Amino acid sequence: MKHRFNSFINERSEDCVKCTIGAGYYSAVTDSARLMVAGQPMGLFDKLVGWLGLKKEVNVLCLGLDNSGKTTIINRLKPSNAQVQDIVPTIGFSIEKFKTSSLSFTVFDMSGQGRYRNLWEHYYKDGQAIIFVIDSADQLRMVVAKEELETLLNHPDIKHRRIPILFFANKMDVRDALSSVRVSQLLCLDNIKDKPWHICATDALKGDGLQDGVEWLQDQIKTMRT
Amino acid sequence: MISSPAEVKNGSGDGGRWLDAHYDPVAGLYTFSSCVDLADLSGDGESRLVVGDLGTGSSGMKLKVYRGTALMSESTLLDLPAGLVAFFMDLHEPRIPAVAVASGPCIYVYKNLRPYFKFTLPGLEINTLEQDVWQQVREGQIDPMCLKEMLESIRKKDAVPLSIRSLRFLSLEADSMDDFVQLHKQQPIRRQTVITCIGTLKKSTTDEDGVSCLVIGTENSDIFVLDPEAFTILSKMCLPAAPTLMDVTGQFDVEFRITVACRNGNIYILRRESNKPKYCIELSSHPVGLVRIGKNVVVGCTDESLQGFTQKGKKLWKINLPAPVTTMAAMDLPTRGFQGVLVGLANCEVHLYRDKNLLSTIKTPDTVTSICFGRYGREDGTLIMTTKGGGLMVKILKRMAVFDDRESAPGPPLAQSVRLNVPKKTKLYVDQTLRERENSLAMHRAFQMDLSRMRLAAARAYVKALESSLTPVSSSLSEPLKMNAVVQGLGPSFKLTLNVQNTAACRPVMNLTISFLYDENLYRMRNPFMRIPLLVPGLIYPVETFVECTSDKGISDIIKVFVLHEGKSSPLLTAHINMPISEGVAFS
Ligand SMILES: Nc1nc2c(ncn2[C@@H]2O[C@H](COP(=O)(O)OP(=O)(O)OP(=O)(O)O)[C@@H](O)[C@H]2O)c(=O)[nH]1
Ligand SMILES: [Mg+2]
Repeated sequence: MKHRFNSFINERSEDCVKCTIGAGYYSAVTDSARLMVAGQPMGLFDKLVGWLGLKKEVNVLCLGLDNSGKTTIINRLKPSNAQVQDIVPTIGFSIEKFKTSSLSFTVFDMSGQGRYRNLWEHYYKDGQAIIFVIDSADQLRMVVAKEELETLLNHPDIKHRRIPILFFANKMDVRDALSSVRVSQLLCLDNIKDKPWHICATDALKGDGLQDGVEWLQDQIKTMRT
Repeated sequence: MISSPAEVKNGSGDGGRWLDAHYDPVAGLYTFSSCVDLADLSGDGESRLVVGDLGTGSSGMKLKVYRGTALMSESTLLDLPAGLVAFFMDLHEPRIPAVAVASGPCIYVYKNLRPYFKFTLPGLEINTLEQDVWQQVREGQIDPMCLKEMLESIRKKDAVPLSIRSLRFLSLEADSMDDFVQLHKQQPIRRQTVITCIGTLKKSTTDEDGVSCLVIGTENSDIFVLDPEAFTILSKMCLPAAPTLMDVTGQFDVEFRITVACRNGNIYILRRESNKPKYCIELSSHPVGLVRIGKNVVVGCTDESLQGFTQKGKKLWKINLPAPVTTMAAMDLPTRGFQGVLVGLANCEVHLYRDKNLLSTIKTPDTVTSICFGRYGREDGTLIMTTKGGGLMVKILKRMAVFDDRESAPGPPLAQSVRLNVPKKTKLYVDQTLRERENSLAMHRAFQMDLSRMRLAAARAYVKALESSLTPVSSSLSEPLKMNAVVQGLGPSFKLTLNVQNTAACRPVMNLTISFLYDENLYRMRNPFMRIPLLVPGLIYPVETFVECTSDKGISDIIKVFVLHEGKSSPLLTAHINMPISEGVAFS
């Protein structure tokens, strides 16, 4: 299954802007070595650190409706020299990496478009944490986000796990955006009793609020492991 | 499953297939399906809702645009909107559609939500007599009273109808006529029709964002196709009645089909090659909703029925609805290969049909007056409804929702729609059917004639039998009798038993005799004449005698039995006994 989807993975190189939308894009991805770290080959030092157990590797699933800002957020979390300027709607999914003080994150940036949402569940097993991004300015589709969240929480690969979920109530800079409190009300987050969760209001364009969320996630993963 | 109170409340009727995205009961939107459209008006991939709001019907008409749950812009309309469509009128980038609002005799075209162009229908032919009369008024030759008389006579006999001005004048009281004439006499007379419905027709491509022509129907029973950029009339077609609902498909330069429901209760289908309707569907009651699904047309009628027709007007099915239809819309979801018809009903329900099967029922808090299904915001399967009370309701189809034909459909069992393997009609059958069809009258007459003859013959035979007492039952009042005969034996000797019964209630019968009539060459009878004892009512009296067959030729004959009253020559009753063939030979 996974093998087939590899062809959807985004290539974050200079010429990817125009080809990510069309179907002709598939042939562009041929070099599997580049896929692992989405554009920048994994350095030897990083691997060494990983083997020595200095930095734990965690797989994180980044989920949420299309246009909510998932790719923008993950792009923001990467070191500034690895960030890209143009962000296009994700096709299928893409794998990104970034590090915090003690963890090395591998993020599955899933496409949120309706026709790709059925891909999400294939990665639930491998995920050790979930980042769920919501467009706080899209009030109309709050019910859709809620529906997808419920489907996620009820999936057999997620339901009985104490997997931490970080909610980003994104686009808080938009004039009509809902507050993070209102978003958590609309999504009925209080009903999640058996998993640690946290919600942050963010502005992915400026990067506001992201750090707070990632720190919470890091703490959760640490407590989980020990 | 985590579920909010809202979902528990609303998720019942429609099988939980729809998400309640938004409901504003006091949105103040008063409109019909023909005045609602969805379009990406900013070219940012997010569809907006464009509504021609009818306001109170006399004021407050507005063009409103919604983005998500919020009203984004509104601008005043000069007249009541009859229809609204979004369409691409040019090839400019970015691809942003224009909005056309039809009201009165005009189409107002908005680009980027700013007025861009106004198209006015060409004026109609003016009655020359009417024109002359007004000319005379202008020159002061006739007074208003005289004008009134002349206009009235023109109205009665002339083929070309009067202008609105003359009709208004004719409806005035005598004291206000003068002012009216003074006010209007200098202006030229104009006769104008109004637009009743509007649609779009792709010019030459099938592309989603291809340039489209506007198609308009008028009160004057015409259909016009307008050039997208120049707004000149590309084609004019005539209908037998004023159109009210319209569906257009195809491309103007290639092949197209315009389906219109008219005020005479008929549906007409126009094609590219002719300016007259190609097909006609005559409905038994007036159409209130018209939706095309692929190649079929689905019509909702005032008799609370929903009917399906082919594009050539052949009726496919008809079902009854639980309430009058308020509005209809197509539900087309190409990404999931789904097509259905949404029907708003006066009982606060919206039904979803695929063909004649009810797939889902959505309960609404108020009667729905307009329905629009399509891409809104970033959601492809969005259902937008406005209600009688001015409410706005947005529902989103769940990603995993499936519609099952058989789930809620009452109606006939599945087996009923299984086609029987009927053998092909033979040539003989077809010839016979043709002959029957052609000569039906003569055949019917011949049959009726023969039937009458047969009845007459039967009646005659019956009367004769009664008159000559040829029956084994006597119905005479004084001697009601019944008799049957039994023949026993193999021959040549037979035993003949006659069972005689008096069927009267209490009167006995006396003085009866029995006599036999037979061919003396064949039979010999010991005593061919017998007396019958007194017959007590009800009892059966067996009268026995012996017959001997004298012939050895193996033939048989009838023996007639008469029951007679002493002193009367005509029998009371008669019986014919078919004698069996004798198996043996007499010794003689
Ligand atoms: N104003 C504002 N815009 C944002 C913010 N975050 C993202 N965007 C914009 O939202 C749009 C969508 O962002 P993406 O990161 O592509 O969204 P996504 O969730 O990855 O979408 P898919 O890949 O289609 O699932 C882009 O135009 C971003 O610039 C934010 O915090 N504020
Ligand atoms: Mg993305």
